[in-house]
Amino acid sequence: MSTSGPSFPDLVPTARSMSPGDFASKVFRSQSGIEARVQYGNKAFNKTLDLEYNNITEANAAAIFDHYLACNGTLYYFLLPQKPKSGNETFHTNDQSNSTSNRYGSVSFGLSYRYAEPPQFNSVKPGRMSVTIKLIGVLDS
Amino acid sequence: MTYYSGKDGFISYNGATVAKVSNWSLSTTVETLDTTNLSLNDRTFVPGLRASTGSATIFYYDEAAKPLLERIVKTTATSEDDILTIKLGWGAKGIQSSCIITSAELNCAVGEIMQATIQFQFTGVLSNVAL
Repeated sequence: MSTSGPSFPDLVPTARSMSPGDFASKVFRSQSGIEARVQYGNKAFNKTLDLEYNNITEANAAAIFDHYLACNGTLYYFLLPQKPKSGNETFHTNDQSNSTSNRYGSVSFGLSYRYAEPPQFNSVKPGRMSVTIKLIGVLDS
Repeated sequence: MTYYSGKDGFISYNGATVAKVSNWSLSTTVETLDTTNLSLNDRTFVPGLRASTGSATIFYYDEAAKPLLERIVKTTATSEDDILTIKLGWGAKGIQSSCIITSAELNCAVGEIMQATIQFQFTGVLSNVAL
């Protein structure tokens, strides 16, 4: 079990994109072209969740920066609260359950989110910044 | 209550009034920064950066337009020394700030009085506003 960091700041993003990852498998292809696939696991992994926070206040940008540091960068796993996943209430039920209807979540799929790379902070004007965050959901050991 | 008309208008640069001004205009715009998040159905914005531009037409009477034209129509390169303070005024009111002449146009046509048209970009905050 890897170390957990603090929960991500509870902020609604201005843009979000998600890729659900894939299952571990291997493809065996014969000389005739016929292929056979063997599945090695029952959980998809490497789920990616990209969050954009455009033109947010400096205080909110600082909260994200501080969270990244508190997670020791890309090292620690953490939980996403409700607001970063809000906005598509049918696609993502956004309750506290571990239902697989919480499609933006990680726990219900046996995954843990961590930073895939350091977040990008852009200054827009005095008092306003934009932040781009890339998270990855991996199978926790 | 007072109406203002063209006869009340004037332009001054670095404190000196420009003679024979035909017209001037000022345009100030503020960018908007989109702050709409995924929980909203209507876009929200906050004010972004502000910019002001202006233009003026000056009859080429003696050398009335020369001090403005020679800021960019000259044999040497333009520099920060060419930033000047322009005041667009009407009556006792006016707007003043530093600006850069961005365009200068001289028109000479048969049957018309020769005139110069300049456009300028204000730089920094407006230093004096009396509306």
